[in-house]
Amino acid sequence: MPAKVSQKKNPKRNPLGKVFAGNIGALAVGLKYFFDPNRITLLYPHEYIKLNKGYRGFIVLIKEKCISCSSCARICPAAAMRMLSVKVYNEKLKKYMIKKYPVINYNRCIFCGLCVDVCPTEALYHVPYHDIVYENMNDMILSLEDFQKEPENIEFKEGIPVKYYFDERRGLVKTPYMEELEKRNEKEEKNQKVEGEGEKGAS
Amino acid sequence: MEAGTASSGSGIHLPGMEIAKASKNRYEVMIGPAHPGSGHMRIFVEVDGDIMVKVDPDIGFVHRTMEKLAEGREWIQNIPLFERIAILDACNITLPYVRAVEKLLGIEAPERARYLRTLLCEINRVASHLYGMGIFGVFLGHSTLYMWAFGDREVFIDLAERLTGARLTHTYPVFGGVRRDIPDDFPEDARKATRYMRKRLNEYAKIFLNNPNIRSRLENVGVLTKNQAAELGLVGPNIRASGIRYDVRLNEPYEAYGDVDFEIPVFEEGDSLARAWARVEEVRQSLNIIDQVVTWLEKHPRENFMHEKFWKTAPKLYKDVYEGKISYSPKYRIKLMPIFASLKVPPGKSFARVEAGRGEIVYYVESNGDIFPYRVRVVSPSFRNVIAFKYVMPGHRLMDLPAIYGSFDYFPPAFDR
Ligand code: SF4
Ligand code: SF4
Repeated sequence: MPAKVSQKKNPKRNPLGKVFAGNIGALAVGLKYFFDPNRITLLYPHEYIKLNKGYRGFIVLIKEKCISCSSCARICPAAAMRMLSVKVYNEKLKKYMIKKYPVINYNRCIFCGLCVDVCPTEALYHVPYHDIVYENMNDMILSLEDFQKEPENIEFKEGIPVKYYFDERRGLVKTPYMEELEKRNEKEEKNQKVEGEGEKGAS
Repeated sequence: MEAGTASSGSGIHLPGMEIAKASKNRYEVMIGPAHPGSGHMRIFVEVDGDIMVKVDPDIGFVHRTMEKLAEGREWIQNIPLFERIAILDACNITLPYVRAVEKLLGIEAPERARYLRTLLCEINRVASHLYGMGIFGVFLGHSTLYMWAFGDREVFIDLAERLTGARLTHTYPVFGGVRRDIPDDFPEDARKATRYMRKRLNEYAKIFLNNPNIRSRLENVGVLTKNQAAELGLVGPNIRASGIRYDVRLNEPYEAYGDVDFEIPVFEEGDSLARAWARVEEVRQSLNIIDQVVTWLEKHPRENFMHEKFWKTAPKLYKDVYEGKISYSPKYRIKLMPIFASLKVPPGKSFARVEAGRGEIVYYVESNGDIFPYRVRVVSPSFRNVIAFKYVMPGHRLMDLPAIYGSFDYFPPAFDR
């Protein structure tokens, strides 16, 4: 069914009472939200959003999978991805060969994700966060080693992870994401144990 | 602009609103370009007392030479570029470019991809209208609406993020299809969001549009008659508020718009209030479309999301990624064939248009068979709407400027491209 035109008019205003009624209506709605506010504010960085897996955040290279096809560098609309030539030792031929691997410049990247989508061997993937601070701009040009690691996110250590859920009455509802928090606490406990043991061993 | 000129450049005068001859009392006021309300543009206003006698919008402060840049980029790289014309309406803005290139390639998106595009277009339209409404609210000193509209826009941005992986720069439609399918829990979330928004729109009406204080500032202010709107060639909800039945979705249905059931609200009055109501009603219709499209997507099998030309030769890995068999990559991602990185488009000229949030957007694309476009011409809706200020504003008081300005839902980056 194609679209239909529906003729509409501005709602009429009654000569009498409408000013009064309109004011009352507006005040009532305002009052309702005064007592029951619809807050979605994120107290960043004390809280951070635990984004879904599909989020297009920072990019990580799995070097073993890369076949050096350069598709990712060619498709990049911001010229953020470049191919780097490195010498690698070839076991079969027993000699050094030049191989190309992509490296990324986060000064330029716009997180369009085209490189990840075009990679024929799925050697690139996104991590679901993008709020990482670098001390200077040169650090944002990653080396091949750094490009293979998932970047470290500071808030993940201290902030409370939250998730937004859709709700019919409130739109979005912010809820602490407990699973993530528990996981982190467990990890910390483990780390502490390891540290403790290390100390014992040393003494 | 010549300073202090007496002659009015305008050909059209509103009845009863005579433009006065130059006199001692005339002053020139500049609104912008660094004014928080005006966005990145300047308006020369000549006032007599506090009546505006001559208004001249001066655009070009955020010109980014999009069209020229496009000539040096490969076909697919232009999609993220054109998104930047109006970032809050990304899918609608890039869709005609994708459609024009598809015409040159001689392909058409398959059915599921068409519905997915429609879905994101409507999510974008809601988000874009809410943004416009929020700015309109703060123009009139109604900061409540501003907070509400921006908060509720977040619901739709979140929806778009779950669908595409990015909040605003989705880069969602690509030649021959789309880049992702809906996640499994998406239909439920979308329905919750639409139900919530419908209820909220009633509250918007109560606190803003039916609020007598706001009404008195908008009613019969900035009246744009039907003739004038047609003569100036305006587009979008602004002309539908003046009684012109023009909407690309109606006149030339594209994507899935021919198959979904919705209405095009048309108002007669043509004043600022009608323009605001036109947007509210349009949001309501968009919510209906989202519901229908989501139901359709749920009922139909997940196939045909990419044109055969690009998907036929897809290796097994691509299908595994789609089905979520690769542990580190999300489900329902549609990978692009490496041919996209060096796509050559057959020579030819093509033209496509869609109805974006602010009105009709037109792309003219010319190819000479190279990996770059030969020429891309963009006519954005805000560029066509901005001229209205010149003819609608004179005769009103200076304090009506924001009321008119906001009601047209201006977006300076879209004027300038
Ligand atoms: S995400 Fe986009 S901009 Fe960033 S490296 Fe990949 S292709 Fe380039
Ligand atoms: S597209 Fe993938 S396989 Fe090809 S060079 Fe880039 S990362 Fe390596």
